[in-house]
Amino acid sequence: MKEEAKRASFQTTTLPYLNRLVALASRWGDGQEAEDYVQETYARAWMAFHQLRDPASAFPWLCKILRTVANERRRTVARRRDLVFITELENAHEELVASDQPSPLEQYLSRLEAGSLRKALQSIPEDLAEAVELHDLHGLKYREIAQVTSVPIGTVMSRISRGRQLLAGLLKREDEAEAPAFRRAE
Amino acid sequence: MSAHRAQPEESQRDEATLQHARVRELVAAFADGELVREESREVEEHLRTCAGCRRELALQQDIARALSREPTPGASVSLRRRIGWVGEPERSPSRRWSWSWATAAAAMVAAIFAGTLAVMHPGVPDRAPGEIPLLRDALADCSRVMGRNFPRKADLAALSASVPFPVRTLVQPDAELFSTWKTTLAGAPAAGLAYRWRGIVVVQYAMATEMIGREPEVARALSGGGFYTAVHSAQSVVAVLEGGSATVVIAETSPEQLRRLIL
Repeated sequence: MKEEAKRASFQTTTLPYLNRLVALASRWGDGQEAEDYVQETYARAWMAFHQLRDPASAFPWLCKILRTVANERRRTVARRRDLVFITELENAHEELVASDQPSPLEQYLSRLEAGSLRKALQSIPEDLAEAVELHDLHGLKYREIAQVTSVPIGTVMSRISRGRQLLAGLLKREDEAEAPAFRRAE
Repeated sequence: MSAHRAQPEESQRDEATLQHARVRELVAAFADGELVREESREVEEHLRTCAGCRRELALQQDIARALSREPTPGASVSLRRRIGWVGEPERSPSRRWSWSWATAAAAMVAAIFAGTLAVMHPGVPDRAPGEIPLLRDALADCSRVMGRNFPRKADLAALSASVPFPVRTLVQPDAELFSTWKTTLAGAPAAGLAYRWRGIVVVQYAMATEMIGREPEVARALSGGGFYTAVHSAQSVVAVLEGGSATVVIAETSPEQLRRLIL
């Protein structure tokens, strides 16, 4: 009976985050590989469930376990498929900020196809992409991202800022080059 | 003499440059509401006079907003089933685990909850939300609109005018309404609203108060001014009576978070 109650508590606390964990896992692997990471995450979370003191922190706690699982299991770190020259993106970002448009990205974003910006995260350095993704896609607070990634909160702040700047630079560069990294909606 | 006068001017310029560089570092955190009050004030003050930092702020906000709208994959039925076995005592040696699962499974146990787990607040529901017509229809409608990536309009005035009950929106300032539609739940008209909130999508249904009275479990939970709360697969469902209508909210987050959003 006690075990039943523990399972019910585990399910109520962790199950609402299942889809979000699969979404996060997809940054390290596609389809079945991502689901395997999540499955392993739930197995480890069950065994360590007694360590979760605050149910409100369940999602960052699960994210941290998932991150450990993915880092252990990943056979290759070569998921940064289209890593591009950082200085080129930095220059493109500076040009955007120096432009006379109040919202310099508006025109580029309005032409993007769904999913392409998320895919573009693979083209910027991993630590920056991870921080941006945890915040903007998965809704974690800076403090929670610092816990998940084991870095100081100042580093999180800087990674998110820089990551978005590089994405902005990438948008501009791709739009000008009419390159296929961003497929545009008809 | 002129060299002496130039020194304070240079010093002021250096200070302004330093402040600009410092604020530029803080703009992303400012956009995300992550700064303490003193830092926020410093950024606000600087933004009044610096067009470059205002553009940087717009850029940070635009990227964050665009990413929060990106579609993300969800769990397959097979994964849901496998996750459902976590913590259950192992029954059958023929159960198949994938590579990473096998070792943990041996130490663990298997087989629990069969898809839907309901938690009432207060009390315990007689039927799971998927068996209650009103909530079953809400979950199905939610799944349908999500599958079609939501209607591409958010016209609250038109929606309110089309239904015979008041439509109250969620009050949290960081919940962004991006889609509205009219639908039918358990044979009666209902208003659907979708929000982006902290990286997730929250779907709200507003309906006439008497709709709740048809579902005994929900009505009982709400009778004392409380909430009806349930978990269905990966989604939390919360119902509440407020402002002359009934509201059902569905999202992939914990019931506690969802209640906080409604309050």
